[in-house]
Amino acid sequence: MVKFLKPNKAVIVLQGRYAGRKAVIIRSFDEGTRDRPYGHCLVAGIAKYPKKVIRKDSAKKTAKKSRVKAFVKLVNYSHIMPTRYTLDVDLKDVVTLDTLQSRDKKVTAAKEVKARLEDRFKTGKNRWFFTKLRF
Amino acid sequence: MVAAKKTKKTHESINNRLALVVKSGKYTLGYKTVLRTLRTSKAKLIIISNNCPPLRKSEIEYYAMLAKVGVHHFNGNNVDLGTACGKYYRVSCLGIIDPGDSDIIKTLPGEQ
Repeated sequence: MVKFLKPNKAVIVLQGRYAGRKAVIIRSFDEGTRDRPYGHCLVAGIAKYPKKVIRKDSAKKTAKKSRVKAFVKLVNYSHIMPTRYTLDVDLKDVVTLDTLQSRDKKVTAAKEVKARLEDRFKTGKNRWFFTKLRF
Repeated sequence: MVAAKKTKKTHESINNRLALVVKSGKYTLGYKTVLRTLRTSKAKLIIISNNCPPLRKSEIEYYAMLAKVGVHHFNGNNVDLGTACGKYYRVSCLGIIDPGDSDIIKTLPGEQ
């Protein structure tokens, strides 16, 4: 009886182009809206995972391998699988509802998400979130 | 490890309690609605039949773990669970939203 689809929850997208990718809930709409009369949430996830960095990589190679491609999307609750993990990255100011109105706003938001996720990956925390789900 | 065989008496009492929930409380039948009630944190208890596919069973248990809701594995298959609810169809999983007059929520999660 505890609500668990809350902001900062790590989820796995199950359907669509980003199926199998990990994402984090930024904002949830439990009751739905006029356009989407079902429970859905705004997620930011990883479109392209960073590659495995090994010790003998040079600095240039490490920088190239740590790149992340991000996406921002509104998904139905039934198309995500919640996990027990959370990701504490402050993306509320970057990703809002109106960033999904136009293509270039979405692109700039995704670029900012990419920068924040890359910083988090380089610190070495939340290792589970940045590993590709094998299936 | 099962300490004692699940006696017929407790199984009957679960059926009685389920019948009381169906008569006086709120419940949903079926996988999709069970997940929906778990997501909106309306479910108080989930009952899964014993022939529910293991992947689906694990998924419901995981959602229930996140929502901190008890799961009871019914001692019977989906045909029996449907009969216990008084329905003429098979029920693989059901979620109890409001137990009504029944004490199924208080007695069941303690048993397992």
